[in-house]
Amino acid sequence: MAKRKMDLTREENLDVLEAHLAGTLKPLTPPSDIVQRLRGRIQMPTRREITLRLTDWRRMFFVLGGVLSGMLLLVTLARAFYYLAGRKG
Amino acid sequence: MPELEYNEEEVLALASQGDRDAFGQLYERYVERIFNYVYYRTGNLHDAEDLTARVFQRAMNHIKNYTDRGVPFSAWLYRIAHNLVANWHRDRSRKQEIPLDDLPILPAKGDHPEKNLVRSQEQDALLKMIRKLPPERQNLLILKFVENMSNAEIGAIMKRSEGAVKSLYHRTLLALRDQLEDQNLNLEGE
Repeated sequence: MAKRKMDLTREENLDVLEAHLAGTLKPLTPPSDIVQRLRGRIQMPTRREITLRLTDWRRMFFVLGGVLSGMLLLVTLARAFYYLAGRKG
Repeated sequence: MPELEYNEEEVLALASQGDRDAFGQLYERYVERIFNYVYYRTGNLHDAEDLTARVFQRAMNHIKNYTDRGVPFSAWLYRIAHNLVANWHRDRSRKQEIPLDDLPILPAKGDHPEKNLVRSQEQDALLKMIRKLPPERQNLLILKFVENMSNAEIGAIMKRSEGAVKSLYHRTLLALRDQLEDQNLNLEGE
């Protein structure tokens, strides 16, 4: 009898616990600035889009080609200047 | 957005074809719910914001792969959130950072803005206990109480049967009650 009464009390405790859970875990309203910022963020290019741009081999080829040509031009000009300056001296 | 104008199937079809406005509608509909979920799982606003953004970015990138096989879009979205939160917890445990602060207080939906934002000691103690539960039990409680989902809806997200969710919920309540008794915390009836 005593055990049954104790079990009943423990069951009642579960109801009280559920009521407290409902009072504690409530849906919240996120701050409006966060919602605005989030809206802005999902409009930005994603990491995947950036990666896709980087894996665009044609663009990469032209960029790499441009950089190498520029460097070669600079080296040629520097050598020509050095040669001319050396001859005068 | 008026409820009558919203047809999720149509919006999903458009969004999966790359229509950003359609995806924007999905965002407006689910952002608060996902934020709530992530916020309760992480315990701070900054990470909740960051992870919520990542959930929607991932959803936007993979929405073409989403096919409605009896799993609602919301369940798909929550699974993305769940995976990202799990990764976040794993990274944090690897870095062994300082434990999280208690959840900051935000106004509950429907509360008057001037309402005093104070949590009782009982609620604080309960929140701390919830945050110490295994992740799937935390998920269950958040989905049940914060999102007001049925066991069937929770089952769709957690990939469990309705009965399994019910059983897990009961075991979770028992575990919480035992913890309260161990700590001599007495919740008074409301």
